[in-house]
Amino acid sequence: MKSIVTALVGAIVAFGIAAEARAQDTIAKVKQAGVIVVGVKNDYKPWGFLDPSGKIQGFEIDLAQEVADKLGVKLEMLPVTAANRMEFLRQGRIDMVIATMGDTPERRKQVGMIEPNYYAGATNVLAPKSAGLKNWADLKGRKVCAVQGAYYNRRVSQLYAPEMIVFPAVPDALKALQGNNCVAFLFDNTLIVSTLAGGDPQWANYEMPLPSEDPQLWAIGVRLDDLDAPFGKLLKDMSVNWHKSGHLVALEKKWGIETSPYLVETQKKLQ
Amino acid sequence: MKVLLTPRIEGFGGSRWLKPIASTRALAAVVFVFLASAAWAQAAAPAAQASVMSVLWKWAPLIFQGFLFNLLVSVGTMALGTVLGVFLGLAQVSPYRGLRRAAWAITQFFRNAPWLVLLFYAMLILPFQIGPVALPSWLKAVIGLSLPVMGNIAEIVRGGVLSIPTGQWESAEALAFSRRQILWMIILPQAVKRMIPPWMNQYAILTMATTLISIVGIQDGLTMTRAALVAEARTDLLVPMYLMLLLMFFVYCYPIARATLSLERRFAVKI
Repeated sequence: MKSIVTALVGAIVAFGIAAEARAQDTIAKVKQAGVIVVGVKNDYKPWGFLDPSGKIQGFEIDLAQEVADKLGVKLEMLPVTAANRMEFLRQGRIDMVIATMGDTPERRKQVGMIEPNYYAGATNVLAPKSAGLKNWADLKGRKVCAVQGAYYNRRVSQLYAPEMIVFPAVPDALKALQGNNCVAFLFDNTLIVSTLAGGDPQWANYEMPLPSEDPQLWAIGVRLDDLDAPFGKLLKDMSVNWHKSGHLVALEKKWGIETSPYLVETQKKLQ
Repeated sequence: MKVLLTPRIEGFGGSRWLKPIASTRALAAVVFVFLASAAWAQAAAPAAQASVMSVLWKWAPLIFQGFLFNLLVSVGTMALGTVLGVFLGLAQVSPYRGLRRAAWAITQFFRNAPWLVLLFYAMLILPFQIGPVALPSWLKAVIGLSLPVMGNIAEIVRGGVLSIPTGQWESAEALAFSRRQILWMIILPQAVKRMIPPWMNQYAILTMATTLISIVGIQDGLTMTRAALVAEARTDLLVPMYLMLLLMFFVYCYPIARATLSLERRFAVKI
């Protein structure tokens, strides 16, 4: 029995071993390994989502690929969630994170945020026209569908006191909205615009009735000590170029995202 | 010697092995629900969209891969849980009072704790690496899920051992076997037969519970199903897509349930 236990423990340990050379300089480490590991979303269309072959694609994936190409290494993507992405980065399991991450002061204490930010979203709701919503205060006491872990959930529920029904993923929440389980679906405004602009007849009687609120910048995250190291500088340079060349606006078009005013303004500012 | 001490165990041949008619009916029922939901979704969908069945077919390989990962986790968890549970169960019938009490307390604690909470604890408390050895999140999940399995297996082992009539112990002692010999050579070989059906039952329950790991960000069948739903952005797919995953679990778990039932009958003690 003892030998079986030893063998089992041995097997578990062997499975778990992943050579983890934590070099000081991330660029050197990545180049030596020939691969950069990037934390991405695989359940957030069109930023990062799956195709049927299991490949992850999307707006953020294109940016990650460009970083890998610039370094001349292969891109390895690790799907992350809002709950584990900063932890993975700190642990060194990923070298960089580009996963619809909002740039907040609290997060800046843990993660290096690359500026200029590659996107800015704001909060709005998708609601049936028949609901007749006019302003945010109309949500008070009414049922609002939302998605777990979204940064705007807390702010909206504190300010406007709706009855929040939280779902694990976007399709579940949208289904609930269509089933009249809630009066509105709380989400990122550009995505709502894209959904409505898609011409899908199932959304013909829906609208985005409220003024967008709480603009939130999204950022690529690196480890804090990488922020002012060559890796962070490289990413900042790339980000400036993405803005200047209009690359980000082009990517928005490619992935069917409504052009966000933030990108247009930043492009003007940098030129 | 063992033959002399074996209690009367009923031995049916293959006559009560899987009842083919009942299992076919159950499977047919699930397939019917699946097809009906797909047809309903199809009828509701606009003509321009791809048919529901073709979309499901497109995503099936990826979701099946995720499902295989669930099975991998279930096998690993069962192996670890069984090894730990056997020791814990035997400790519950130990002649040492302190050991017995401690084992009882541990068993009760893990049997009556919610699986998801134990899973969260394992994900949060276990380090990302122990020394040079990395501890990937799926391995943490295996450890977390094996705790309640351990508690339940311990009860199965304890019950199995206690179900052997005390006469067996007494006659073995009269033949000068040591306690250890009695346990390993006489009691356990008989008890194992009685433990196998509840053990299989536990495994089927565990397999279905492995979808909990999707909540802690592991890419299992449920995560893949969600990702597919996000990528398709069609709410009409929600029911058929989840049903497809359910069907995979059903096809795997239902035969186990049937086999458990027939084994139970086969090993039942005649009174």
